[in-house]
Amino acid sequence: MHTDTIRQLPEYAALTRARKRIMWPLSLATILAYFALILTIAFNPSALGQPIGEGVTSIGMVLGLGVILFCMVVTGIYVYYANRVLEPLTRAIVNKAGAK
Amino acid sequence: MKFHAPLAVLLSAMATCAWAQASSSSAINVTAVAMFLAFVLVTLGITYWAAGRTKTASDFYAAGGGISGFQNGLAIAGDYMSAASFLGIAGLVYTSGFDGLIYAIGFLVGWPIVLVLIAEPLRNLGKYTFADVASFRLQQKPIRILAASGSLVTVIFYLIAQMVGAGKLIELLFGLPYEAAVVIVGVLMTLYVTFGGMIATTWVQLIKAVLLLSGASLMAFLVMMQFGFSFENLFAEAVKVHTKANAIMAPGTLVSDPISAISLGIALMFGTAGLPHILMRFFTVKDAVQARRSVFYATGFIGYFYILTFIIGFGAIILLLKNPAYFTDGALIGGANMAAIHLSQALGGDILLGFISAVAFATILAVVSGLTLAGSSAISHDLYATLVLKGNRDEKKEIRASRIATVCLGVIAVLLGIVFEKQNVAFMVGLAFCVAASANFPILLLSMYWRKLTTRGAVMGGGLGLFTAVILVVIGPTVWVDAFGFEQAIFPYKYPAIFSVSAAFIGIWFFSITDKSASAAKEQAAFDAQFVRSQTGIGASEAAKH
Repeated sequence: MHTDTIRQLPEYAALTRARKRIMWPLSLATILAYFALILTIAFNPSALGQPIGEGVTSIGMVLGLGVILFCMVVTGIYVYYANRVLEPLTRAIVNKAGAK
Repeated sequence: MKFHAPLAVLLSAMATCAWAQASSSSAINVTAVAMFLAFVLVTLGITYWAAGRTKTASDFYAAGGGISGFQNGLAIAGDYMSAASFLGIAGLVYTSGFDGLIYAIGFLVGWPIVLVLIAEPLRNLGKYTFADVASFRLQQKPIRILAASGSLVTVIFYLIAQMVGAGKLIELLFGLPYEAAVVIVGVLMTLYVTFGGMIATTWVQLIKAVLLLSGASLMAFLVMMQFGFSFENLFAEAVKVHTKANAIMAPGTLVSDPISAISLGIALMFGTAGLPHILMRFFTVKDAVQARRSVFYATGFIGYFYILTFIIGFGAIILLLKNPAYFTDGALIGGANMAAIHLSQALGGDILLGFISAVAFATILAVVSGLTLAGSSAISHDLYATLVLKGNRDEKKEIRASRIATVCLGVIAVLLGIVFEKQNVAFMVGLAFCVAASANFPILLLSMYWRKLTTRGAVMGGGLGLFTAVILVVIGPTVWVDAFGFEQAIFPYKYPAIFSVSAAFIGIWFFSITDKSASAAKEQAAFDAQFVRSQTGIGASEAAKH
């Protein structure tokens, strides 16, 4: 099946839309989380050194480890969404393309 | 067969290790040497087995596409968990606490970007190298030359850093002369890649990843056990013994000004998505679904590994600083990068020291092999096949060229390793990331998502990014002052990525939109068909013959 015909399929429109819906928010969230931390390190490092409670553990430590966990969660969300939403659409397109 | 071989391999490695432990009561070297010899024997065995299975170009470059998503995730993590990041980040945490975390985070945050933007289109459009993707709708010759240059510059800087690190580490751990150590590493990596191609390189990487993750987990567990598995207790004790006291809980001197901070962030985040040896791994899996799964596992393993490294760094602060045996003249023996190695001895005596030393060596071997394979593929698949074979692709000739290129890269790596022995090579990994972010990543990203990209834009802009990155590093403080010994740097910032990445994107944009040639119009028109394939994978499977 010619690519122009594939592009006319409603599933294709749905796939590109669904992908955009997850792609940009997750990329932006990661970039923002990271650069928020980096810019705080650059402009206000002492804020990160403040202890979070009674002890010595600083806000920076918690945020830093938080960003590491955040990255793992982001990849998890994407894979979950891709398997649930993107994959059925892709399979439908591939099937239609193969059938004609 | 496929799964029994590695299992047998691990069992025999464990048996050898147990034998080494039983037969030696005193010697640190015996455990380390025996463990290391076992690793070498096992990996050479795998290379022999892999050589028999490496028949086509697809086998050589991409392990025949037969690696699973989980295995590939572990292999990618293995590529990423270099000795530099294990020893380097632990050393940085040991010296300045929080600053080590900045690097660890920077190395990790590129992965969600790789997953969401790059992995699936890369697998759907490419065959063996990322230049396949960049040149998909553009002119083969100029784009492949540029992409191969970007790959080779990245690979060579990375290789020098690893070779020098390897030489120093082996010199220290095994008492071998520096040159001999560099030659051993060079010979072994050349053997793995030349005979076993991607299959051997991947299995070497997998075994090493399992060994390294187990070793680091054990060390972090032993550290945390002493502090009742509480970070607060760990930090409190570290603050008590460290000379910088409370300052280790806050950002220190690693990034001092906003420009450097943002630059470092950009290089680390986007450099990951432009590292040729990492990108190449996505072609070893069956399809986009497995590529996606690979990144999920890789991110998990890498994040977990950095948390371990962080704990190890803090453990080193507490357990080493109190013990004068690890110091000569007030400095840690072998420098801060040896913090993790000394800590293994403090935690588990000579046996754990031997194990961790051997694992560190194995790590170097596995990483340089992956780098060499990526470099030789750029030479054979992108340069030789396009410039010499032209349109008449011939798999046999291409693999032969790749093997010759591997041997040449091996020789070059050994020579450069010896030349740079006395230099500070720490900046080279940073430079590799900077070049990857400034040349490889913009071309790759825009070729996938930007309709208006043309050959002229990609070549001019990508070239500009590559050139700017290298020049600004050379005239910046790390090379101009530290390496060349001049008084003052011409360019004031240590990390130039903010300038070189912007130069690349602006260059690509400007030279693409002003390109009114007929070929440019054709390239832009080809975007829709390319996008269909990148999104759905239709056409990808038959192209790669998986």
